[in-house]
Amino acid sequence: MNLIDGLAATFLLIAILAVASGRVLSLVRLYSLHSIVLGITAAAVAALTNAGHIYIVAALTIALKGALIPWGLRYVIEKIGVHREVEPLVPLPVSLLICGVLTALSFYIVQPIVTGHDILETITKNSLPMSLAVIFIGFFMMIARKKAITQIIGLLIMENGLFMAAYAVAYGMPLIVELGVFFDILMAAIILGLLAFRINRTFDTVDTTILRRLHD
Amino acid sequence: MLFVSIILTSLAGALLAVLLNKRRAGMLIPYIAAALSSAMLIVMSAPVLLGHGDVILSLPTYIQRLGEFSLRVDSLSAFFLIVMAIVTMCVSIYSVGYLREYENKYNLGRMGFLFNIFILSLCMVFTAGNAILFLIMWEIMSVSSYFLVIYEWRRADSVSSGLMYLVMTHVGTAFIAAAFLLMWTQTGSFDFTSFAGIREMSELSGTMRSGIFILLLLGFGTKAGLVPLHIWLPRAHPAAPSNISALMSAVMVKTAAYMIIRCCFGFLGVTEVWWGLLVLLIACISALVGVVYALAETDIKRILAYSTVENMGIIFIGIGAAMVFQAFSNGDSTIPYLADIAALALVASLFHVMSHALFKSLLFMGAGAVISSSHTRNIEKMGGIGRRMRYTGAFFFVGALSISAIPPLNGFIGEWMLFQSLFLSQTIGDPMVNILIPAAVAALALAGAIAAACFVRLYGAVFLARPRSDHAENAEEASNSMLGSMMILASLCVLTGVLATFIVRIVDKVSASVLGTSIASKVVGGITLSTPDGGFSHISPLAVVIVFLLLLPLVYLLSNRLGGPQRIMREDTWDCGTPLGPRNQYTATGHSQPLIHSFGRYVGVKSEVSETKSSSPLIPARMKFHQEVEPVFERYLYRPIHRAAVELSNRIGWIQMGSIQAYLAYIFVTLLVLLVVFR
Amino acid sequence: MIIELIQTFLLLALAPLVTGIIRSLKARMQGRKGPSVLQPYRDLLKLLYKSSIRSRDSSWVLSIAPYVCMAAVIAAALLVPVIYTGTFGLIGDLLLLIYLLAIVRFFTTLAALDAGSTFGGMGSSRELFISSIVEPTMLLSIFTVGLISSTTDLGGISMNMASTGLDLIEPSLLLAAAAFFIAILAENSRVPVDNPATHLELTMVHEAMVLEYSGKDLALMEYASMTKLLVFFTLMANIFFPWGIATSMDPIALAIGLLAYLVKISILTLAIAVVESSMAKMRLFRLPNLFTMAFILSLLAVIAYYILGVA
Repeated sequence: MNLIDGLAATFLLIAILAVASGRVLSLVRLYSLHSIVLGITAAAVAALTNAGHIYIVAALTIALKGALIPWGLRYVIEKIGVHREVEPLVPLPVSLLICGVLTALSFYIVQPIVTGHDILETITKNSLPMSLAVIFIGFFMMIARKKAITQIIGLLIMENGLFMAAYAVAYGMPLIVELGVFFDILMAAIILGLLAFRINRTFDTVDTTILRRLHD
Repeated sequence: MLFVSIILTSLAGALLAVLLNKRRAGMLIPYIAAALSSAMLIVMSAPVLLGHGDVILSLPTYIQRLGEFSLRVDSLSAFFLIVMAIVTMCVSIYSVGYLREYENKYNLGRMGFLFNIFILSLCMVFTAGNAILFLIMWEIMSVSSYFLVIYEWRRADSVSSGLMYLVMTHVGTAFIAAAFLLMWTQTGSFDFTSFAGIREMSELSGTMRSGIFILLLLGFGTKAGLVPLHIWLPRAHPAAPSNISALMSAVMVKTAAYMIIRCCFGFLGVTEVWWGLLVLLIACISALVGVVYALAETDIKRILAYSTVENMGIIFIGIGAAMVFQAFSNGDSTIPYLADIAALALVASLFHVMSHALFKSLLFMGAGAVISSSHTRNIEKMGGIGRRMRYTGAFFFVGALSISAIPPLNGFIGEWMLFQSLFLSQTIGDPMVNILIPAAVAALALAGAIAAACFVRLYGAVFLARPRSDHAENAEEASNSMLGSMMILASLCVLTGVLATFIVRIVDKVSASVLGTSIASKVVGGITLSTPDGGFSHISPLAVVIVFLLLLPLVYLLSNRLGGPQRIMREDTWDCGTPLGPRNQYTATGHSQPLIHSFGRYVGVKSEVSETKSSSPLIPARMKFHQEVEPVFERYLYRPIHRAAVELSNRIGWIQMGSIQAYLAYIFVTLLVLLVVFR
Repeated sequence: MIIELIQTFLLLALAPLVTGIIRSLKARMQGRKGPSVLQPYRDLLKLLYKSSIRSRDSSWVLSIAPYVCMAAVIAAALLVPVIYTGTFGLIGDLLLLIYLLAIVRFFTTLAALDAGSTFGGMGSSRELFISSIVEPTMLLSIFTVGLISSTTDLGGISMNMASTGLDLIEPSLLLAAAAFFIAILAENSRVPVDNPATHLELTMVHEAMVLEYSGKDLALMEYASMTKLLVFFTLMANIFFPWGIATSMDPIALAIGLLAYLVKISILTLAIAVVESSMAKMRLFRLPNLFTMAFILSLLAVIAYYILGVA
């Protein structure tokens, strides 16, 4: 139980570090780490609940999100030649403080569900506020960063948070659903990567604030 | 009897000031009267604090419906009265020397008159036992302080600052009056004793209570200078002569803390948790905003005024925390020690009321002394004054240590207790509290640290290094009456810190009279202060002093033993080969630049660097740095309100058509309507 | 009483050694041979024999600052448990310790302004900037420790923590420890916040403040800052990870306590050396990023305590 709490805290911490990181490549590295922690958590949940199918999910998580997608992202970054700075719309210290507020907020929102009796009886329920915070932080990252690549990573982090929340509430989703989601994520990553390519080719930049020009 | 003589002494002082105007004695006698009545005030209040029963003075009442006009000194009043009396006594002594500068420039009779009236009204505000009487006294206090603010009316900014003060304080008064009226509708009486019955009225709805609370917070928050109602404070306090600034910052703003404590805990009873959280939030913002503005200022008195905003924030953090804990302990008695923790927070807050009164009046007096001898309020034109004004420098140093919460001075003790009460909030299981209390801890820590930075900067710029102007170079030490009064306050700052255990015992009686929970037996043990839960933590201010008194000589002796006695050579400061002038020093603006760079932009501090190009692209011929503080609150909060008000009055402007007959008709119709309605 | 005094003396005696070891380790990592680990002792002794030069522009503030700083640091050293959980805790708690070290900051930054040197002003300004923004982190990590061990008495904290054994590795404590470590770097002017080895005008912070001191005064200032570093190390070692600390006066327990203390301090020393060799000093206005991160860590520590502790 303590192990899962610790992993969940690490999971949240990495998400915040991702907001704090100023380089695109280190962002990808952090995402990979984030997914690996998720995978380890899944494995821990599997071990604690004796649910065999979660092992598969854990392995898939680490392989796909920990290795394949980061590799793909790195490929895209090199191919487009994305500038290494992250270019935040909101300055870093303020972003971090907002993350703190978001974490506090998610704690406030979820607290009644976690401490209330008979509502949630999983051993992983403590990680629910943290996974909600991760979802918020991923969302915030999509809002507060200029580049398409960083927005993709924000989305992926959000999605990691969703998986974590699923473990917290019900030890994960049924295997078939999880597989479906994996496939979706992979497709989404590919499509977004392609989109970044296209944005880059059309506008010579991946700065999404430029897209506002389409408005005119 | 004593009370009557206090009032008569003050009135006599005021009267004599007018009669003796422009005579030698006119500069002495009114202040002797003020000091005398302050001394009597201490004599009268001390027994009340020690538990010898309340002092009540009934005034003649002519209108029965308004209730009984009585002045009442209970524990809470007595505490504030003693704090006030100590300050007013020192300020009175100080004024004798300080006001010589104003001779032949401004009317000293007016000063003596207003000074006595102001002190008397402060005393009445702290003792009024009836809402109507209170409002009258409150008004006298506001108006007399207004006239004191515009005392130096020849100076350009003083009248406009005074006007802003007058407007703001009356808006505040309107809210207070509304709150009192609402309370009157519940009790049918204007007596504070009957207001206290509201606490027990179970049929009174929560909305009503909350409405009254909000009105009170708005009204007294204006006087306390809580952000965003603070805008008058940093203008009015510096505009007044320094002795008055000391009174206003040290005593007058405390009337708000006094009434909030009395109304919330005494009359309304803290029923809702969010009241406390709201106060906590506003207080944290005030502390932070106040201190950042203080850091951006270069006018010595405005720095002190903004620091008052910060310190009122700290005091209200204590009050807010006490309200939160009290609300929880009302609702749930299963959580242990909660009532004790509420008491600890209130004790901390009251302790800080006292500390702030002592060190802020000391600092304003020191500032006054420095300003009279250097003829400027701009700290960029001072420097090196410490060598010319040794004693003033030393006393100001004590004040700066105290306000920077350096142990074991009084500022530290208050903050320590406040931190402990916040730390102990963990027993509460409410997520909102669990989030906001750590935030308050962080805000308090940040505000405290920046305040220390601010006073290092202030002291360094004013008293240390080389003089930056001729006036600063030729500064002269202040007169004996000024030094004497500063010495009293400086030693009180040290003593109240070192002997905090005794003070806390007394303050606890005050908070017990409000909250009904005494914690002295749990908190004070011999020379140590502990937290009331038994074992969370403790501190012994006296032991800190003893350790220091042992260690300092030890360090000195040991370091002089090793390697022979200390030999000192006096040389120039390391100058890299160019002789250093006054302009080679770090300026105060430069000194605060890193902090302002990070925090200033959130409160509207703007700076710009402009350069004149020269032949070399790398070295500009001339560089200019300009920093200004955009009045954010005025511009984005008050101006829209102002505009809306003007708009509204334009709309209904047609009523005012300028014909006397029409106005008479209005009066006539109003009269008829009133007669019909209230027949 | 005796043991408490002995452990304070131990701390005071070890302080220059720790600084010496950090310097020597850094030298090794950078491929230099470096001076002996005992060099700081020699430097201090040498300085004590020299006369002090004080600026003509300076006042009594500069003269008393070294003595006050030293006294405050020793007072702080009296409060920390080193090998045994008993301390002179009667004086005060962890909060007092932080404020005692604030005395050091107040006097060094004020005295730096005293001589009217531009360097002093710059150092003072930057030091106040750094210490102000790191203060909330400091207090919140203390808050977390107070929550977990339900006391802020230093001896009590180590006692409570030491008795819980390995269970105490919980997220909130680790987060608080991480935040506290960054605060230590900031408070003691280490890389990446400040470079203790530099004398380059544009980058120095602490060194700029002590530029005007010489002889005995400098010896005291240097010794005070070395001791301050070890006081912080000891806090880290015995508050967050109090394994092995003696909880009784038993000689064997004390021996284990000493050994454990030396091991923990060596690890911290190594950590500092690695950080200083592998990282560059950050630009001054990049520091808020680091400190906000530290602040968020400490805030998370509190929130994690409520999420994981209460539930």
